[in-house]
Amino acid sequence: MTREPRAVVLKGVRKRFGDVTAVADVDLEIRPGELMVLVGPSGCGKSTLLRLIAGLEEHDAGEVWIGDRCVDEVAPGSRDVAMVFQSYALYPHMTVAENLGFGLRVRGAGPAEIGRRVSEVAEVLGLGGLLSRRPGQLSGGQQQRVALGRAMVRDPGVFLFDEPLSNLDAALRLQTRDEIAALHRRLGTTMIFVTHDQVEALSLGQRVAVMDRGRVQQLGTPHEIYRRPANLFVAAFVGSPPMNRLRLARDGEGRLAGGPFVFPGSSPHPEATLGVRPEDLTVAVVAPPASGPPPGSAGTRPGPHPSPEFTATALRVESLGSEQRIHLDGPDDAAWVARAPSALRIAAGDRVDVSVAWQRTHLFGPDGSRTGAAPQPGRGSHPGTPA
Amino acid sequence: MSGAGATNAAGAAGVTPLVATGAAAAATAVILLVAADALSGAREQATREEARAAASLYEVPGVTEADVVSLLDGRARIVAPEAGGSGPGAFAYRAGALQPAAWIAVEPADEGNGWPWAAFVLALLGVLCMAAWAAARRRAPPPSRYPAAATLLCAALFALVAAAAQQWAHGELGAVSSARLARGLRAAGIAGAAGADPEAAARVAGLPWASGAALGEPDRIWTMPREAGEAIAADPQLRSAPRYTVVAGGATYHGGAVALREGPAGRAETPAGTLHLVFLGYEETSSPTVALIASAIGSALVVSLVLFLLPLAARPRALARTLAAWGFLAPAAALLLVFTFGPLLFSLWISLHDWRLVDPAHPFVGLENYRALLSDGGWWSAILNTGVFTLHVPAAMAVALALALLTRESRRAVRWARLALFLPSVTSVVAIAVVWKWLLNDGYGLANRALGAIGIGPVAWLTSPDVALVSLMVIGVWMVVGYQMVVFQAGLAAIPRVWYDAAKVDGAGPWQRFRHITLPGLRHTLFFVLVTSVIGSFQVFSLVYVMTEGGPLGATDVAVYHIYREAWEFLRFGNAAAMSWILFGVVFAATWLHFRLLERRGAHA
Ligand SMILES: Nc1ncnc2c1ncn2[C@@H]1O[C@H](COP(=O)(O)OP(=O)(O)O)[C@@H](O)[C@H]1O
Ligand SMILES: [Mg+2]
Repeated sequence: MTREPRAVVLKGVRKRFGDVTAVADVDLEIRPGELMVLVGPSGCGKSTLLRLIAGLEEHDAGEVWIGDRCVDEVAPGSRDVAMVFQSYALYPHMTVAENLGFGLRVRGAGPAEIGRRVSEVAEVLGLGGLLSRRPGQLSGGQQQRVALGRAMVRDPGVFLFDEPLSNLDAALRLQTRDEIAALHRRLGTTMIFVTHDQVEALSLGQRVAVMDRGRVQQLGTPHEIYRRPANLFVAAFVGSPPMNRLRLARDGEGRLAGGPFVFPGSSPHPEATLGVRPEDLTVAVVAPPASGPPPGSAGTRPGPHPSPEFTATALRVESLGSEQRIHLDGPDDAAWVARAPSALRIAAGDRVDVSVAWQRTHLFGPDGSRTGAAPQPGRGSHPGTPA
Repeated sequence: MSGAGATNAAGAAGVTPLVATGAAAAATAVILLVAADALSGAREQATREEARAAASLYEVPGVTEADVVSLLDGRARIVAPEAGGSGPGAFAYRAGALQPAAWIAVEPADEGNGWPWAAFVLALLGVLCMAAWAAARRRAPPPSRYPAAATLLCAALFALVAAAAQQWAHGELGAVSSARLARGLRAAGIAGAAGADPEAAARVAGLPWASGAALGEPDRIWTMPREAGEAIAADPQLRSAPRYTVVAGGATYHGGAVALREGPAGRAETPAGTLHLVFLGYEETSSPTVALIASAIGSALVVSLVLFLLPLAARPRALARTLAAWGFLAPAAALLLVFTFGPLLFSLWISLHDWRLVDPAHPFVGLENYRALLSDGGWWSAILNTGVFTLHVPAAMAVALALALLTRESRRAVRWARLALFLPSVTSVVAIAVVWKWLLNDGYGLANRALGAIGIGPVAWLTSPDVALVSLMVIGVWMVVGYQMVVFQAGLAAIPRVWYDAAKVDGAGPWQRFRHITLPGLRHTLFFVLVTSVIGSFQVFSLVYVMTEGGPLGATDVAVYHIYREAWEFLRFGNAAAMSWILFGVVFAATWLHFRLLERRGAHA
């Protein structure tokens, strides 16, 4: 596929449905050959954005550029894009081969060319034996492949995927995810992939755009999105289990305080939110009085044991095999979750010492945007990591 | 066969004979009831005809009241019109031609006690036999043999009862018809004595060819062998001889005749001295074969019901559930049986007979009615007209589909289009036809006046053989288009929008989307509308009946209208029934073909 990949650029694109603003002034640039993932909760406007790019909806304001032309007046079929739908949208009365060849056929390609392209794509996707079947006779995974193949046959400049994996079972979803990544490496085509699943987004995207209420909340690499969430929404949406949060308020001396923590230095904000990812908490079981060596000490994080910030009760312990999730009654009775190695011996009801890796925490201002990491409380000497 | 066995208390095994006995008794009762009902119907009918004959006789000049009374064996009263003619338990008939009107009242026949005692006793005997047999087997019942034995017994029993009932009913009916025949002949005799010619005599006797049929109709005039004719001629009581019974086609005819002597003064072309025997009256009594077949089917049904219930008898819960289910099903099944399959089979039966309303006998003719239709030009031209008329269906579907597509995007447009176009579907066809007839009137019709206003000469919408059928087709389109549009709208709404999205991204234009997505997505809807509309079109009647009455010059004579006229104007029900079945066959074949095609094409969709 010697095709020149195309850039997709959205300039101030807005779309309203009656009173609902589905897409609100989105500026987004997808680089040629990039695999960009749009992620966000249901109803945030991801599909609408994708359909605007495809030309299936008309935007109310702004411009959509594909490659080096503005496509606002260009019909969907002429935009050099192909789209894979969540429901696959296979035509039930056509065979797999006819479905695959439909895009070429309506463009007036000859039967020989159609046959050649269809068999090429069928070979890549392993659909060879299914060409004469109809969609109703295929499994969900096979239908998904046909939908993929239908997009590939036309060798478009941009691929658009609207939640193509959400109708598959978990194992097949993982497998297909890998295949799409491999396909992207092979073809080098621009791909825009919409999903509501943040794990899928982080694992698949070269860059990820997190959307909420019609706006792009953050655009960045998966690492940036995870480690430096731009605001509370992104922080809460990305990561599983979600980030632990604690509301902080300014005390009499101008310091932020909440739960057992008092942070040094005077704060410009009257209040803030502390965010700690579950893996940045370290849990150790408190030795019962008049007993032997502390039973939990063997399983805690290796290296020098940080001094515990607070003690809590393990309310519930989820064992996931590779790790454990410990639900705690966190500071100020906030429900917190910590991740711990599976070797840690702990049961519900145990008292635990909890320490925090402060340099990896997040502080969010009153408007929700990230201001940086939280300083180490109490000791006062730890400088705030720049955001 | 020991008494001890019979007196043993009924155990679980006793259920079998109990159920079988109950079923047998019920079936017997049903057969007897049906037979008794048939008989009383026949008697009543005989009485009516008797009264009609008497009334006709009274019209013959010279026939006195005493003659009529004598004909009716003294059971007649002649009453004044004011009296209403309906004494207690009397039938009254108006003698149409009498001036002033007079009424002949006849007491209903009261013959026999109405109950087939002999058959009843036979059935009872059979039931007793079976009960005894069941009791004797009780000791060591071989369960596997029960169903077979029960089947045999039931079958034998039913054959017995059916045969007895049939024999009895047959004899009774024969007696009824013989009596009626005798009266007919006597009426002819009285009329003849009063100076009426044989034709008038036959009319008086209320016999077939009296109602306008020609004397020369060959199968009604039997030319006898010379000896027989001479024997009749030698008989001084010429008019009342001979009387005979013919068994043919599974039915029994009791007949009588008067002989007509053709003299030089009679029909010139007939050689002098030839005797014609005019078959004056005959009465068909239904064939024992048919009754036996019917009762065999009935027995089979009952037996299979019993066999079906037997295994359930040991599981009361299942039995109760089954009975409840059948209880709920029974009303619907009975309705279906009585109002759908019953008439259907009856019309098939009629179509195999020479069935005329004016003729009380309906001789079995096999496929003769169908054979005659093959060479019936009128019928085939009606079929052709129906076919041409049916062409309005594809036209209407095209219009309806276009309208449905046009109104697809807008809810309000959908509503208005529905309201406006669906109205014809909920309006009486007769009202529509009357209005259109007025609109399309040659002289004062709105259509022609509008055309006249723009200088186009009047069009003979309904009075020209070339135009009339087309006019009806246009009205046909107008009538069905709303209904079809609503169905198409529903079909369109069921096509997922995402298919269109996918096709748009694939580069398909509006026509290609219509061709590759809308049409295939609608094909079940299209098929449904096509089949129902074609069937509806094959059955078009009211429109033709009100607007053109098949005219002009038979140009709009469609199949159902043709059948209607055959039955109710020409009173040839046998022919009409045969036509109905041919029409049914055509519609059925068309539908079946459609289904097969659809099945093959859409097997994987
Ligand atoms: N055709 C439409 N008509 C009206 N509202 C729509 C339409 N399509 C989407 N919306 C609204 O726009 C918002 C964004 O929808 P969508 O883009 O489908 O969200 P998602 O991120 O789940 O794909 C939702 O509030 C939805 O209700
Ligand atoms: Mg969506």
